[in-house]
Amino acid sequence: MPRILDPNDKYYIDNPGRVKAIQAEMARRGIDVYLGSRIRTMSFVLDTFCPWRSYVIIPPEGQPVFFTFVVDALRIADETWLDPDHVRAYGPMGGMDQVSAVADYIREELGIQKGRLGFEDGISTYTAEGNLSHWEYTHFKDALDGFEWVNSHDIVDALSLIKDRGTIERFRTASLIVDEGHKAARAALTNGGYKGMTETVIAGIAASAMRRAGSVSEWNFAGLNEIASGYRTGLGACTPPTTKEIGAGEPLMLDFHAMFKLALGDHSHNYLIGPATRRQRWHADNFVAIVQTVIDHYRAGTTPGTLAAIMMDFAESRGCGDFIQPACEHGIGLFGDEWRIGAVVNPALPYWTDQDHVYRENEMVVCAMQYAAPEENIGFRYENDIVITKDGCEVLSKYPLGIEEIS
Amino acid sequence: MSLLAYLSPSWRDEALKRLQSELTPEKMNNVTTSMSNIYKNCPGGSEQFLFVECKDGKVTRVETGSGEPPQAEFRIIGDYETFARISRAELGAQKALMTGKLKLKGNLARALKLAAVADRLNKVLAKIPTQY
Repeated sequence: MPRILDPNDKYYIDNPGRVKAIQAEMARRGIDVYLGSRIRTMSFVLDTFCPWRSYVIIPPEGQPVFFTFVVDALRIADETWLDPDHVRAYGPMGGMDQVSAVADYIREELGIQKGRLGFEDGISTYTAEGNLSHWEYTHFKDALDGFEWVNSHDIVDALSLIKDRGTIERFRTASLIVDEGHKAARAALTNGGYKGMTETVIAGIAASAMRRAGSVSEWNFAGLNEIASGYRTGLGACTPPTTKEIGAGEPLMLDFHAMFKLALGDHSHNYLIGPATRRQRWHADNFVAIVQTVIDHYRAGTTPGTLAAIMMDFAESRGCGDFIQPACEHGIGLFGDEWRIGAVVNPALPYWTDQDHVYRENEMVVCAMQYAAPEENIGFRYENDIVITKDGCEVLSKYPLGIEEIS
Repeated sequence: MSLLAYLSPSWRDEALKRLQSELTPEKMNNVTTSMSNIYKNCPGGSEQFLFVECKDGKVTRVETGSGEPPQAEFRIIGDYETFARISRAELGAQKALMTGKLKLKGNLARALKLAAVADRLNKVLAKIPTQY
């Protein structure tokens, strides 16, 4: 049964309203039909986890039709708000391959034979972004001869910038779930618990706690819960856990991820496994102070470029400018949307965060900072979902900021 | 029984009679659906169709002919010879679809739910003594 949308639900999202907003923008741009292919577009429109290659066709009015790999169509029809007949499948059958199924639907069921077709193209550091491949683009174009193809991903990008109440509530819950992971990890690590424990085990302990608290996934394609200990904390910002044992005298970085109703909880917390040296403590104190400074400067009206400059200046003032990576955030939205900030494509540096993007109330980002001194075998990471407010920001993970020495 | 010409009026009447007598609504899962098989490259070069309609599990219409078939929930398009091979049990319908010899139009997710029903229907049609 498709989901009944309940405006009284604290997690309610007005998905039909989102579709109408997309259709209004299509009309303004003279787009006759929209062919979405990115995961973030599926999440935004269907409000359902769509892991397989999928396409959403948005007509000028009425419900969209969604196509996915046949093995997953019934599950998605059961979970989305769309009518069952608006959830279709493609599969390895004559006439039912991706191109035939989608093109036939547009031509024969929608009855649109020619016009302007919006599609999604671009580049991303995020492997699973979902832009049309060259093969898809050329074959869809052949099958839909007579259409003018217009790259229109910015419609969804712009509409998804400001988060609605239900979306923010989902992120609040997802973040509190992550905190449960951190509590469980700390309990397991302290009082000598870390001895003999590997990065993979602490990742699993946190995952189990978060699942018990309602998370459905550790969502991060870069390695689910990311853990780094010892020298690995200085290696950068992608650390899928290894079987390395956590050792005394080492830094430890725990970057946990939870997913709740497609909202992505993301919080990185750091420890020093005692005994810590004075130099390690100095690095740790630097990092905590930098994070707090950046958080204190978020507000509507500021920009990513401004925040990065504040961060770098502050780090320089403490003598640790060489160790901080020159960025302090990444975008965040429902599953699939964890990349650049802003909806504008800067032609000088396309598809990266727009450094001049002016934050508005109820935008969300992941405040994300990476501190790395690889030659000293130490590094730290901070990540936390935040909501931009008029005069500041709401930090969603409530786990206390700090780098504690544990033993 | 003498051989009936495939898709001829007499074959069509025999098909309806057999489908109604051999397939109970329970066997047909009480489905309501319709399907048009569209035969390309028929002997003589024409295009023909076989239309089957089912309401609440009861086969209510079988039609054959040339030209535009009645509106149906599903359309299956292929060469006459492909359909003939399926009817002679020389080729499985699923394999014909999976190899692109037949093309399906309609909601695949729903079609898969009806795959077993379609198979039962095809098995009844395959038993009609037929001249291809």
